[in-house]
Amino acid sequence: MLVDFELIKRAQKGESAAFNEIVLAYRKRILGTIARLIARPEDVEDVAQEVFLRLYFSLDQLRTAEVFEPWLHRLTVNAAYDYLRKQRRRQEFRMSDLSEQQVMLADAAAGGKVEHDEQYRKKIRESVQSLLGAVSEADRILLMLKEVEGLSLKELEKIYKVNENALKVRLFRARQRVLKAYGSAGTKEAAGWDR
Amino acid sequence: MNSMRGNDDARLDALLRAYRDACPTPEPSANFMPNLWQRIESRQSFTFSFQRMANAFVTAAVALSIVLGVYMSIPRSNSSSYSQSYLEALADANTLDTPDYVSPVRLDLSDPGR
Repeated sequence: MLVDFELIKRAQKGESAAFNEIVLAYRKRILGTIARLIARPEDVEDVAQEVFLRLYFSLDQLRTAEVFEPWLHRLTVNAAYDYLRKQRRRQEFRMSDLSEQQVMLADAAAGGKVEHDEQYRKKIRESVQSLLGAVSEADRILLMLKEVEGLSLKELEKIYKVNENALKVRLFRARQRVLKAYGSAGTKEAAGWDR
Repeated sequence: MNSMRGNDDARLDALLRAYRDACPTPEPSANFMPNLWQRIESRQSFTFSFQRMANAFVTAAVALSIVLGVYMSIPRSNSSSYSQSYLEALADANTLDTPDYVSPVRLDLSDPGR
C-alpha cells in the first residue's frame, strides 16, 4: 500500500492535505491503468479525475485499510467502464452519420499514419484495441486487469466480489471470445500477429 | 487443433504483454490537482443545494402535518349536528311526507244513521 491508514483516516475527517497526499501517491498508477484500459490519451486525465472524485465522496464508507487498494481499483474499473460505454454509444452515433464510402476512407487514412518505432507501438495498441473492440467492455476490462495490469486472482476477487472459480470461468470465456474475434476473417492480419 | 489453440493463447499473451509496454504511462498535467478540486467543489455545492432543498421540503411537510393534525383535533362545539344522536339526526333528515299513515284515525260517531 502506498499510503498508511492514518493518512486515509485524516482524509476521511475532511483534511484536504491528506486527500491531496493520497491522490499524489496513486495518481500515476491510476493514470497508467486508465491509459491502458481506455486507450485514448486525451481522455485519460478526465477519467482519472472522475476516479478521485468518486473516491473523495465515498471515502467515509471505508472501514479497513486492506480494502483500500481493491476499492480504488474498483472505482477505476467502474469509471473506465462508464467511459467506454459512453464512448461506444458516441462512436455508434458518429459512424451511423457517415456513409460507407466515408468510413472506408477514414479507415484507410488511419491505416496510413504509422511510422518506425512509434509505428510499431502504435500498431500494437491498435491491434489490441481492435481485438478487444470485438468483445464487451466487461470482458475487455477483466482481461486487461489480469493480463496487462498483472493483477492476481486474489486481487480480482476483491475487486469483483466473486469467488476465484467464477472469475476463472469469466476469464476463460473472455479469452475464448477474444480468440474467436482473432480467428474471424481478416482480424488476424489486421491485428498484425503474424509479424 | 489443440496445439493451434495453445499457439493462439501464447500469441494473445505475448500481444497483451507487448501492449503494456506500448502504452506509455501519461504524466499528469500541471492542472490535474486544481481541476480535481474544482470538480470536487462544484459537486459539493450541487449536493449542498440539493440537501438544502430536500431539508426545506421535509420541514414544510412536517409543518403542514402538524397544522393539519392540530386542525383535526380541535373539537367543534358550536356545531349542533355533532351533539345529536344518529337516530335524531336521521329523523331530522327524513321528515315524514305522508302524515296520513301515521296520524291517529278520527272516527266521527255523531251521526250513527249515516
